[in-house]
Amino acid sequence: MKSTIILIAVLVLLVLWVVTSYNRLVRLNISADEAFAQIEVQLKRRADLIPNLVETVKGYAAHEKTTLDAVISARAKATSATGIADVAAADGQLTTALRGLLAVAESYPDLKASANFLALQEELSTTENKVSFARQFYNDTVRSLNQAVKSFPSSLFAGMAKVSARAFYEVENPTDRNVPNVKF
Amino acid sequence: MSSSAINFRGLQSANRRKTFGLLAGMGLLVWAVVYAAMTYLGKSTTMIVPVAVGFALISVWGSYYFSDSLVMTMTGARIIEREDNPALFNLVEEVCLAAGLKLPKVAIVEDSAPNAFATGRNPDHAVIAFTTRILQVMDRDELQGVIAHEMSHVANRDTLVSAVAATTAGAIAILSDILMRMMIFGGMSDRDDREENQNPIALVISLVVLILAPLAAVLLKSAISRKRESLADATAVAFTRNPAGLRRALEVLQSDTTVVAQKSNAVAHIWIESPLDGKSVSKLFSTHPPLEERIAILRNMEANPIA
Repeated sequence: MKSTIILIAVLVLLVLWVVTSYNRLVRLNISADEAFAQIEVQLKRRADLIPNLVETVKGYAAHEKTTLDAVISARAKATSATGIADVAAADGQLTTALRGLLAVAESYPDLKASANFLALQEELSTTENKVSFARQFYNDTVRSLNQAVKSFPSSLFAGMAKVSARAFYEVENPTDRNVPNVKF
Repeated sequence: MSSSAINFRGLQSANRRKTFGLLAGMGLLVWAVVYAAMTYLGKSTTMIVPVAVGFALISVWGSYYFSDSLVMTMTGARIIEREDNPALFNLVEEVCLAAGLKLPKVAIVEDSAPNAFATGRNPDHAVIAFTTRILQVMDRDELQGVIAHEMSHVANRDTLVSAVAATTAGAIAILSDILMRMMIFGGMSDRDDREENQNPIALVISLVVLILAPLAAVLLKSAISRKRESLADATAVAFTRNPAGLRRALEVLQSDTTVVAQKSNAVAHIWIESPLDGKSVSKLFSTHPPLEERIAILRNMEANPIA
């Protein structure tokens, strides 16, 4: 009698544990999707700011053509990119191009003092922060997800939950960083 | 401090572990009080345990469940909209993205002391409030650090943790109060009821436990609050990855000697810098770790950035 009760209790605990591990994997997977969507939202925000920025800078520093063109082409690439690796690479290029543009702006006091540029500056710095925090949150989520997928015993349910390890969102030189091998 | 605890991940898990240990200590204290009561007054006294816990639950639950509106009333905070301060909303949005949290309500307290707090029973009901002064004296990075600290309280469910601590401490206070009264007024007359231990040493120990338990509960509650503050500092760094911002913000608070006008004990613990701790008899009763200690830990994180 006593042993049956113990057996039932152990079985119930086992089932509870399986359910919890399974749900955790599913939850992390959904979180990673949401986190990636959030990066795209913030990238879109940034892309929308750029035409205004380019126009403003042109008004004061029209001959900085190479820098302006770099931003425009990087934006075009970023808006058309699909798939995490491409999006991340284009994002990285645009970040660099924008940094270049802002560095150029430093040497134009009239531009820096213009009301339009000042208004854009807060928008740009918050957007840059939002993009980078969205990336960071995605990578943190992927870190937890990959840990759960690869470590025993939760790895046992990864297949059942149709959840697999994901690639990190790597902005700088994604090729020469050691990206985990992902098979979907 | 061990080297593994220097980065924010180590600090986060260390502080979570310590909170758990302290809450377990609270549980142990309840058990000790009940045991002492049984020794001194007999088994029938266990009846009053649910009564004490019930009273404590009733008194704390309301202030937990309605914490957002209650605290707002008590501090005089006023909800603002995005157009009132777009730059502040930008900062809050940034930290929410880093934390993966919903945007909380943002509020302003008219006060000449720099301070901030967060409250609300869960992330859906979170409110983050700033005094008018803190918005004037802090730069972007410093404010970001403060917001990250407050959003960490939201993410770590600290309103719930402090409600649990307050309930247990309250139950212990009520319990020992009732038991002491029973000892003084009723305990002596019905000696037949005392079927348990008659050993004088056991009786003395039980009495000491009952007398000291409320004090011990308050000390445990303060210790839990301090651990949650340290945890919020570490979690803030996990969000912003910029210990310098929060460190400089704390230095601003340290150099400022003004305190918020609402010095009510009831809400003192929710501010980022406690309005009351300066007057505490001892560090043991403080709800926050000393600012110097918090600053030193953040400096340590700056020197040891995580990869």
